[in-house]
Amino acid sequence: MPENSLHKPLQLPSLQHMLRHSGRKLAALPPAYAALMLLLAVAAILRPQLLSPLLLLMILRQSAPLGLAVIGQALVVRCRSLDLSSGGVIAVVSYLLTSGAWNLPLPLALLVCLLVGAAVGALNGWLITRIRASSVIITMAMSMILSGTVIALSQFRAPGPAPELLRTLASTKFWGLPFMALFWLSLMLPLAWFLRHSVWGRVIDAGGANPRAAELSGLPYVRAVFAAHVISGLSSALSSLMLIGFVGMGNVTLGQDLALNSLAAVILGGVSFGNGRGGMLGPAVAACMLAFLFNLLTSLGLGEAGRLMLQGAIIAAAAIVYSLRNEVS
Amino acid sequence: MSTPTWRVRQPALTRSGLTLYNMGLPLLLLTLLSLALPDFRQLQNAQNFTGQLATPVLAALGQLFVALVAGIDLSVGSVVSLAGCIIATQPDALSGICLALLMGGLVGLINGCGVAYARVHPLVMTLSTATFLQGLAYLILPIPGGQIAAPLVQLANGNMLGLPYAVLWCAAAVLAVATLLYHSRIGLHLFATGGNPHSAYLNGVSVARMVVLAYVLCSLMAVVAGIYLTARVSAADPTMGASIALESVAAVALGGISLTGGIGSVSGVVLGAVSLGLMANGLNLFGVSPFFQGVLTGLLLLTAVSLQRRRHIGL
Repeated sequence: MPENSLHKPLQLPSLQHMLRHSGRKLAALPPAYAALMLLLAVAAILRPQLLSPLLLLMILRQSAPLGLAVIGQALVVRCRSLDLSSGGVIAVVSYLLTSGAWNLPLPLALLVCLLVGAAVGALNGWLITRIRASSVIITMAMSMILSGTVIALSQFRAPGPAPELLRTLASTKFWGLPFMALFWLSLMLPLAWFLRHSVWGRVIDAGGANPRAAELSGLPYVRAVFAAHVISGLSSALSSLMLIGFVGMGNVTLGQDLALNSLAAVILGGVSFGNGRGGMLGPAVAACMLAFLFNLLTSLGLGEAGRLMLQGAIIAAAAIVYSLRNEVS
Repeated sequence: MSTPTWRVRQPALTRSGLTLYNMGLPLLLLTLLSLALPDFRQLQNAQNFTGQLATPVLAALGQLFVALVAGIDLSVGSVVSLAGCIIATQPDALSGICLALLMGGLVGLINGCGVAYARVHPLVMTLSTATFLQGLAYLILPIPGGQIAAPLVQLANGNMLGLPYAVLWCAAAVLAVATLLYHSRIGLHLFATGGNPHSAYLNGVSVARMVVLAYVLCSLMAVVAGIYLTARVSAADPTMGASIALESVAAVALGGISLTGGIGSVSGVVLGAVSLGLMANGLNLFGVSPFFQGVLTGLLLLTAVSLQRRRHIGL
């Protein structure tokens, strides 16, 4: 019987090949994972008391508002856009809930806050997709307008205490895990699955990777960007509700740096402007990492100044590394 | 299938980008305010107004350079604050000014290299620089205060036969920038880089170096604005430049300068800054809360930026 050349013996990958393959996969992971490992190591050396389970759970609870905002920001960044209006949304929600200007029953007030977030997102989205203005300028201007209005209005009414329900929810735990963190995960995981398996997720990936090609292929890319901005506004509103629950009082300057923190977390989490790479898990890990970092910095005595400098350095370094990596590859 | 675009009349294709609206708005505001408010016509108010106008004009002139090469610089606010903090914490004025200028040059170099060589988007790059510098300003001067040398204060606040020195600061800056842009090769290369970078490159213009130069010039102008502001208030505050970044972009956009590069003029910048200043002054005289001025700047910025057509969606 002639030896058929098609009957080649099965070639199993060698150990070397497998190691190299997994090594390459590890190197392609977003910096958030490596940074988290590094931070945990540094904390183990400098401040081992930070690694107690109680404090770690507290940090997880603290990262829930940032994590919610990061969900919206990651979505928007994948569309090559940006949303820096979280500060303004937080100011409006805080004013609506705590100043007592409108005496609405709590469920209605919460609904109105979510609608406000969605409306701000919709306005941003309309300006960005129809008028085609630059997203950074639009969202920063929106934040300025909203917080300026709220500050001017709250000269007449001092901020009051946060609603009882929010404060209770912020401190409850289910099965030992904080409710806020569970809520965050329950929103993030379905959205991540939906992005990966739905047509809309594909449209966002395609449009973010090459908008011109998406347009020419007839994909409803513009509508997807608009929807992404609405979701981002909603997630800002949700994270403001959480923040108000944590702090317990209304505060017009709450969450001023939420927008920049969410941008840093998204960039560190592997989502760069529009090339479709990176899922939702990377930014979520980066949100936890940032919360841990800020706690570590506070315990080391670095105040506001150190935090801001580190934030700026992180965003710049991550953006430069991504840009260079994309160019080389 | 074409995606819907906003229907706006295209300005005539001149290099200055000035239209009837850009020139008419300040005149209209001037007329309205002079007729409606008697306080506006007082000499005191005019002197006050020009004093307040100088900082936005200086910052916007810097933003002009960057807008001409299709970039944007959001770190001018933090550079202004940091320059003020440096001046306030240095023992004598000259060393403070030199250090602040050095800082400005370095910041511009970093921004420019990040945008031109590392291909980071200017918004992301300058936003991160702004955050970093704001932290540095808090580090140098945690609480507002500091000592400003008396000659410097006099230089910013004095007047010569009724004409405030602020007008001289603005005039000197406008003259310097206009000479650089309209009567030198660097200006020509800047316009070329913004207008069509590939064509400029094929013609021998070093596009990357021009972009870096634009950012350096922008930060240097921001340092001058910071020095002026600190001297005028004779104290430094780490957050004093907070609104200057978006204000300068608004002034530039209102002045007909295209944020996608290549089209712009010094007179447009001055007209835009004057419009903004007149509105703020008018609001002040009407007794409106100062926080609403931030709202107004935001609204003006939205309007001005929306009127500039772009094909690109997003960042």
